[in-house]
Amino acid sequence: MMTAPSSPLNVQTRFGTFTADVADIVTLEDGIPGFERCRRFVLVSSDAIAPFTCVQGLDEPRPSFLAIPPRLLDPQYVEQLTPADRVRLDAADDGSLVWMAFVRLTGDAASVNLRAPLVINPRRMIGLQLMPADSSYALDHPMVLD
Amino acid sequence: MLVFTRKRGESIIIGDGIEIRVLRVGHDGVRLGVTAPASVAVHRGEIYEMIGAANQSAAASHAPDLEAIAARLRRQAEERNPK
Repeated sequence: MMTAPSSPLNVQTRFGTFTADVADIVTLEDGIPGFERCRRFVLVSSDAIAPFTCVQGLDEPRPSFLAIPPRLLDPQYVEQLTPADRVRLDAADDGSLVWMAFVRLTGDAASVNLRAPLVINPRRMIGLQLMPADSSYALDHPMVLD
Repeated sequence: MLVFTRKRGESIIIGDGIEIRVLRVGHDGVRLGVTAPASVAVHRGEIYEMIGAANQSAAASHAPDLEAIAARLRRQAEERNPK
């Protein structure tokens, strides 16, 4: 198999400009609620914004999200995947999945959506936002900033 | 919007392999059974909308001091797990 040549991608986000590669593009077949038409996303970060990752949509309206691993906020966070989600992620082995929780920052408050995380299968570069009907986690889990 | 009248036990079929059947009709609710391929996501409307609203507000985040917040989080993580 031929190795695909690298194709650098300049990713403009609301949190700065980052460099990625076309091979880093993740496809979310259904988009995410509120942004159903945006299917292609790229995850970028830098030393300056770590542990945040910017999840940047590449299709209109090109939404920019900040995300962090749920376990960074809650070390006991339980990653729960339904059998249907596992099929849709083509993930026989959960160990390789990447979990990201969207962060909401306003001038004076911060919260994290632990209820509906973004889960990515890096082997297939596909992902989805989980939408459990029942969950003990909040859509706006407070993040303590000091 | 397409509108159907269905009795208990009757169903509608959508596209290729999606069936929605009325299982029970009560005073304050209708119990539906959904059969769909595993590749099709099925969600309760109000949960989908709630998550959509959360996504909209997350996408409107503004953080002029993002790098300072990131530095604070890194420091917190280090304090929790000293090297």
